[in-house]
Amino acid sequence: MTTTSPPGAAAQPTRVPEPRPRPSDPEPAQSAARRALLRAIGRSLLTFLGTLVTVVVIWWGAIVLLDLSSYVAKSPLDVVQFLFTEPDAAENRAVVMDALGITLNHAFIGFVTGLVAAVVGAVLFVLFRPVEQTLMPVAMLLRSVPLIAMAPVIIMIFGRGVATVAVIGGIVVVFPALVNVVAGLKAAPPALHDVVEVYGGSSWAMVRKVSIPAAMPSLFASIRISVPGAITGALLAEWLATGDGLGGTINRAASQVQFDLLWAGVVVVTLAALALYALAQVVENLVLAQLGMLRPGR
Amino acid sequence: MTAPSRRRTLTGRVALAATGALAALALTACGSGDSSDAASGGDADYGDLTVQLSWIKNIEFLGEYMADTNGYYTDAGFSSVNLVAGPSTGVAELVSGSADVALSDAVSVGTAVANEDAPVKIVGTTFQKNPFTILSLTDGGNITTPEDLVGKKIGVQDSNTSLFQALLAANGIDPSSVEVVPVQYDASVLTNGEVDGYVAYLTNESVIVEHQGFSVANLPFADNGLPFVAETFTVTDDAIANDRDRIKAFLVAEIKGWTDALKDQDTAVGLAVDTYGADLGLDAETEGLSATAQAGLIVSPETEANGLFTISDELQSETVASLAGAGLDVQASDIFDLSLLQEVYEENPDLKAYAE
Repeated sequence: MTTTSPPGAAAQPTRVPEPRPRPSDPEPAQSAARRALLRAIGRSLLTFLGTLVTVVVIWWGAIVLLDLSSYVAKSPLDVVQFLFTEPDAAENRAVVMDALGITLNHAFIGFVTGLVAAVVGAVLFVLFRPVEQTLMPVAMLLRSVPLIAMAPVIIMIFGRGVATVAVIGGIVVVFPALVNVVAGLKAAPPALHDVVEVYGGSSWAMVRKVSIPAAMPSLFASIRISVPGAITGALLAEWLATGDGLGGTINRAASQVQFDLLWAGVVVVTLAALALYALAQVVENLVLAQLGMLRPGR
Repeated sequence: MTAPSRRRTLTGRVALAATGALAALALTACGSGDSSDAASGGDADYGDLTVQLSWIKNIEFLGEYMADTNGYYTDAGFSSVNLVAGPSTGVAELVSGSADVALSDAVSVGTAVANEDAPVKIVGTTFQKNPFTILSLTDGGNITTPEDLVGKKIGVQDSNTSLFQALLAANGIDPSSVEVVPVQYDASVLTNGEVDGYVAYLTNESVIVEHQGFSVANLPFADNGLPFVAETFTVTDDAIANDRDRIKAFLVAEIKGWTDALKDQDTAVGLAVDTYGADLGLDAETEGLSATAQAGLIVSPETEANGLFTISDELQSETVASLAGAGLDVQASDIFDLSLLQEVYEENPDLKAYAE
């Protein structure tokens, strides 16, 4: 026994000692938390709109300033025309949205695969140090070898179906999530571990009662950053292996000089990524607020 | 949408006004090709030349290697030549301005013209007959008729998508009955069983795979509704109008290069294997066999009479008919402009006799 734990600390063993927003006014703490939450959601939406405006400004600005050929560089108006106002718009929309559906499905597969692998891996790493020492280099390897170089091997082993989509998407997602979650699991102060130890808890109980709750903010941060990663992975798998979805469509459109379709595809997948990122942020704020972990400064 | 041959939009004009000095500079640079030097003149300065190749740097571009090595591009007035490896149809590179000339095929170019109003034209062709085939193994896909494609998994390079769709359309095969998977330039996807068929060249992958000891089956495009010219020289309408002499200078260098390549095939194949395609690990023996088979596509009674790269009216209408069979409505004049090549041969009659 190295540390003496004050009895007060044992009262809330599952809570992480994140400084909770302390209401300075007589209002109940709950309403202050709700306001913080609404502010956070509002901020997410503002970020979303801000990004949207920035992207459109850069897009249009680049075309104007660089005087790009209008045959190749389509403007936002061209994309709107392609998707909504020209006679074939309904057909064009169907092509793009079908492909987007496939891509989102692929992204979801990669997202789940990568995140599950990251969480399981992180828990194993924390429970058994040797596992971390053995497997972390493998994770590093996955990170440092370009996926495009590995793709032919992955395709040879896993074929050109869902398995390859899961593997390629999973590889894109797993590393940042793994590092984040491992750091989160280790973030709990040692004093809390001591409490569990004093009460005779196993190392699994330690992970369950202390490390996992402490890792919630990092887990949700991982989910948020994994969303665009999963979409990248899906596009990559489609380009290299399956040939369907937006990844296949965009590359074929480029080689067949269907630049309207190409730009519409890029726009739609970018919008989807931004929207899903914003959604992940809102969910993150909701859950963390529920857990009392929402930092008012964020 | 009508053909926008680099039209200046309103926004483009605003940008031009804003960056007046810069634009003036750029225009001067672009105009340097308009000099009145004859195409064959040695003292013209046509600047840097970028050629987008349709494929990796194997024996398909022997003439380009010879023209580069023997200095014909520089003789013609180009300060440097950049041969960019494919796979690519080159049309996107042409219209975006990143390539001056693209080597591809008449159906890919025709599809881009018919569907997307691409402002490009074919000014000559290396292959009088296209060698495209669906390559399969006799103990695998064994695809010998268009109907054999149904239910098969076919590896199609992105750059050959239009071509494959044209093959299906010309033979009335429902595209949804064939599974298309994206592949690159490596035909090993066929031998390792990933795909049942692979879009290839009769004169190249077919020869290579057979030489590896496999028994191969072919479904040649030319015999199945799609006779058209390939390894075509494609340029933008803008270049034809404003850089005519530059394109003609390029054609002169190409004719000289391919004349050398046909005369001295061994040297040319050596250049492909040891220099230009050195990092591809090409096998000299099979590349030599490929080159011999390929030579049969380049020369014909037509080229003997009228010179290399010529496309007879008959070949032009065959190509247009191939496109029509695939549901694409274009006129020969929409995709071909042989007037530059004609002028080259009028100005340099000695180039015609490539065989002597």
